Amino acid sequence: MGMAVALRTIARVESDGDLIVRAAAGDGSAFEDLYRRYSRAVFGLALRRLGDRGKAEEAVQETFASVWRSAGSYKPERGPGGPWLYAVARHAIVDRARRRGEQPVDSYEEQADAEPGPADRAESGWVAWRVHRALEELPEREREVVSLAYWSGLSQSEVAEFLGIPLGTVKTRTRAALQRLADLLEGELE
Amino acid sequence: MTFEDLVGGDDLTPEEEARLRRVHDLLVQAGPPPELPLGLERPGAAPEGAEVLQFPLRRRWAVTALAAAAGVAAAFGIGFLVGHAKTKPETFAAQRVVPMHGSKAGQLAVLRIAARDAVGNWPMQIEVRGLPQQKARNADYELWLTKNGRPVVSCGSFRVHADVTSVRLSVPYHFSEYDGWVVTAQSHGESTPGPVVLTT
Repeated sequence: MGMAVALRTIARVESDGDLIVRAAAGDGSAFEDLYRRYSRAVFGLALRRLGDRGKAEEAVQETFASVWRSAGSYKPERGPGGPWLYAVARHAIVDRARRRGEQPVDSYEEQADAEPGPADRAESGWVAWRVHRALEELPEREREVVSLAYWSGLSQSEVAEFLGIPLGTVKTRTRAALQRLADLLEGELE
Repeated sequence: MTFEDLVGGDDLTPEEEARLRRVHDLLVQAGPPPELPLGLERPGAAPEGAEVLQFPLRRRWAVTALAAAAGVAAAFGIGFLVGHAKTKPETFAAQRVVPMHGSKAGQLAVLRIAARDAVGNWPMQIEVRGLPQQKARNADYELWLTKNGRPVVSCGSFRVHADVTSVRLSVPYHFSEYDGWVVTAQSHGESTPGPVVLTT
């Protein structure tokens, strides 16, 4: 039943590709939705590549400026919007570093104009990009539990105490979150 | 924690267990998402027209800086306490959650930060657990932003009245200039940061 609810929820969500197409037509709300979905993933990618929070912050601005300017070049028939955004972000981040004569911390050879291929998909940056993007789609209460359970160092009992909810609820929310993430990531990270 | 600790699995079909285990592995591999600088929380005003060449964040940041400066001046550098209420977390629309912990067992806090308001304030709610009640009437706890790990900007003071205390605060600061948060124990009349009791 939980999965059915998750699937129904996902079905109502507009795809990244649809939002890019709308943004290309000048729809500011579509652009804001893209920003909400991807700002953290872009920041994470920039931080990984540039190794500096201030530079990464600027790179996020430049990436979304690039998304806004180049949305018209997105072709839905060539694939979903997520990989296209990843390519735009990589391009913007590396291009920014090159223009300023900075050496990216992560200096693996970029294919700035290409969408991620099989090798890229195996790359940790791509995995983090997709996982962090999917986390943005979780309801706040599930995202909070996942963050605390996986990355705070707290035990599940401590998470329960921390949030003031029963231990069983922590487990239920964790499982629901993983089911939702599985639906969101299905087929993208094989 | 292992997959079994987090999710269990006795009642899962093998296929579903494999599916969720894959997600578990991906979460571990991806690691935590970076803390997004609060200056990037929202894109600001929606871009207008297809000819926009400059990202509107530039303009928004200038506005933020002005609002922050005005707010700091109005508050004389001190954060202001908006309320002191026991509020359920669900009633506060947090966009970011920052766990804090103390040096003693059972001393925890969660700082929830909502979206910036129209004039540049960040509503926050801190829920602290396990801090001792102050014996002195004028003693309190104080939340600070840190730079290089040292408390430099106060975000407000509060007293605890029970094992769990929740207070709301609002500050206008540009969070990206700071690197963390601490809570200190303050004595009456003390203007410098006291001993740190909670940290990020």
